[in-house]
Amino acid sequence: MIFSRVAWKLLPAAPAFVILTAWFVYWLVVRPPPSVIPSIADVVRTGAELAFGGRLLGDFIASMGRLLGGVAFGIATGMIMGFVAGVCRPVATFLNPLVVFFNAISGIVWLPLVIGWLGVGNALATFLIWNTVFFIIFQNTVLGIQLVPEVLEQGVRALGGGRWETIRTVTLPGALPYILSGVRSGLGFGWRALIAAELVGATTGLGQLIFSGSEYHRADIIIFGALLIGAIAMLMDRWLLAPIERRTVVRWGLVAASRGR
Amino acid sequence: MSRLRVLLPFGLLIAFWWAIKSGFDISDKLLVAPPQVWSSFRVLIGHGILAEYVSTSLSMIGIATLVSFAIGVPLGFAVGTNRYAARALEGFLRYLQGISGIAWLPLAILWFGFTHTTTLAIVIYTLIVPIIFNTMTGVRAIPENYILALQSLGASRLRIVTDVYFPGALPSIVVGTRLGMGYGWRALIASEMLVRQGGLGDLIFGARTFGQIDRIMVGMVIIGTLYIVVDRLLVQPVETMTLARWGVLRK
Amino acid sequence: MSSDKIVVSGFRHFFQSDSGPVQATGEIDVTIREGEVVTLVGPSGCGKTTLLKAIAGFIMPTEGQILCDGKPVRGPGRERGVVFQELAILPWRTVRRNIAHGLEIARVGKAEREQTVERLIGLMGLVGFEDRYPHELSGGMRQRVAVARTWAADPDVILMDEPFAAVDAMTRLTLQEELGRLCATTHKTVFFITHSVEEAVFLGDRVLVMTKRPGTIKATLDVPRHGKGGRDWDSFTGDPEMRAISEQVMHLVHAERV
Repeated sequence: MIFSRVAWKLLPAAPAFVILTAWFVYWLVVRPPPSVIPSIADVVRTGAELAFGGRLLGDFIASMGRLLGGVAFGIATGMIMGFVAGVCRPVATFLNPLVVFFNAISGIVWLPLVIGWLGVGNALATFLIWNTVFFIIFQNTVLGIQLVPEVLEQGVRALGGGRWETIRTVTLPGALPYILSGVRSGLGFGWRALIAAELVGATTGLGQLIFSGSEYHRADIIIFGALLIGAIAMLMDRWLLAPIERRTVVRWGLVAASRGR
Repeated sequence: MSRLRVLLPFGLLIAFWWAIKSGFDISDKLLVAPPQVWSSFRVLIGHGILAEYVSTSLSMIGIATLVSFAIGVPLGFAVGTNRYAARALEGFLRYLQGISGIAWLPLAILWFGFTHTTTLAIVIYTLIVPIIFNTMTGVRAIPENYILALQSLGASRLRIVTDVYFPGALPSIVVGTRLGMGYGWRALIASEMLVRQGGLGDLIFGARTFGQIDRIMVGMVIIGTLYIVVDRLLVQPVETMTLARWGVLRK
Repeated sequence: MSSDKIVVSGFRHFFQSDSGPVQATGEIDVTIREGEVVTLVGPSGCGKTTLLKAIAGFIMPTEGQILCDGKPVRGPGRERGVVFQELAILPWRTVRRNIAHGLEIARVGKAEREQTVERLIGLMGLVGFEDRYPHELSGGMRQRVAVARTWAADPDVILMDEPFAAVDAMTRLTLQEELGRLCATTHKTVFFITHSVEEAVFLGDRVLVMTKRPGTIKATLDVPRHGKGGRDWDSFTGDPEMRAISEQVMHLVHAERV
């Protein structure tokens, strides 16, 4: 009874345990060259060196700065454009084909072209993140506004509210859960776009850290970096975005449009 | 009418692009005019170069989709029908979703070199996680009564898999595959840029090194168009069909 | 004359929860004879569904045993068909294919299968809806399909868990009459649980009344059947004998109000 309950609690750790064990055994038995498969100890040591040497903090700050810049810019522009398109149908009709097309090439596909405009660095990475996030926020905002029940808007109108009054008190709050859920998945996609952008489009950042690992044949750096990238993504989602989304969505009894997948 | 609705925005966009190019006298190293893109497109078509790049990319995404489907769906079933496996793997899969395929690219290059294997590994990794995940959620969303009712009709375990689990999870599997193909296509382009062994990513990144903006733009248009064509003409109809048939329009 | 089909003896069940075992039912002894329609009425949460699930073989009783034809129940089997309260017909099969499902599983030949399905489509008033999907049907129609599917598989015993609870009141009256006719013409052994007193008396040859949780069988009442075929609501409501039995059951159930 107690044993099975403890086992149930520990079960989520099982995959990590299995992989670490397999890795450890493989390394003991086969002794592969560390440039291809390093030992667990090497990865831990490298992680500590990077962390205490200051390199990691610099890369982390560089990545986060770009992420925040690109995402903030994407949210602002996506919301404004999405709002206009959501309230005014002809605009939505006009923009729709363009959105479908540019969404299909959003993000990393722009790199070869934009690298010539902005050069390698912060501006390029920020642009690529903005380009990824924009469409997610835009589409969720339009959807959210279009799905606000008309009765609610009519209700405020019947009480004598003007157009702006209606938008402020009904349309925006009604669309907010969708927008927030867009922010959540947008940040996830932005993070992936950032790593891709940094592989070639930057000289600092976590993406560059792992890419330099491949140039110097340092698998330990790459593995440590990739695991860290996943951990940051998970922590951001769990501690920052899920609670925000949950709070508004649950309080208003609404269901989110899309899940961050 | 609907054709106009599609063509007009693009027409205006091209006019705007052309106006900026000639109005501000922008260098060909930064932006080229629409006719240059068109003539570059015709050159690439004429020499069969484009066909080669396109077929490389399409066969890569095709192979990756087949492999991910063949491995991901059974795995999703295994995880979805067993609550211990589900508990063990759900968090792990979520974690993996946070590490984009492209973040493993440097390691894949160390392991497999600058080869198609590297690209395939990255694209399969990107594609398979949403397929496993959606198969799993699809299986777990099937009402228990369906299974109990079939057991009372004397169904074997295999019968329950073919008659309940598979059809029940199918809409979710299709959605997962569609999502995965979207992510996989982007990962493919990114990987091709770095691996440089053919494919549309190679085309546009290679053109960069020679400053051929016209080629880059042709490549971008092809990448977008192919994605839309595959998604709208191939995958979406399957999705609509299963969702409508099942009467579970969940969106 | 008729033999014992289902024998439940010394049954008690507990569920595992985070704070330890929770008692779902008291000690229950029930015998259902062959060809008999036994209805069980009791307050919600008394454990009637637990008992039905145990007879179906979906759960193993914590104590006691359940015999079907003298053999202990070890799991679900095709000799014990179940009709659920919520929708349990498959949304991706048409009406016809849902009804045929049990026969497909039993590898019944095509000709015989089609014949059986046609007969049940006729009996359950589903003519014209054969090729519809469940989502295109009303709630009452779907439950008709569920009943037809179970009958088509031709089990010895049919277990029904409040099958009409989610159907609107008008349709329910029709379904109850149809079910009564079906039971009378096919001579199946039926165990039917409900929280509606009238339904229990209307359908049952025998009505069992359960106490509140943890439930035990509090009383058993025989409902005499006059003439052949099922009952109909018009003569049922006008029959003083039936009214007396209903009132008696009502008193027994009311004493169990939570």
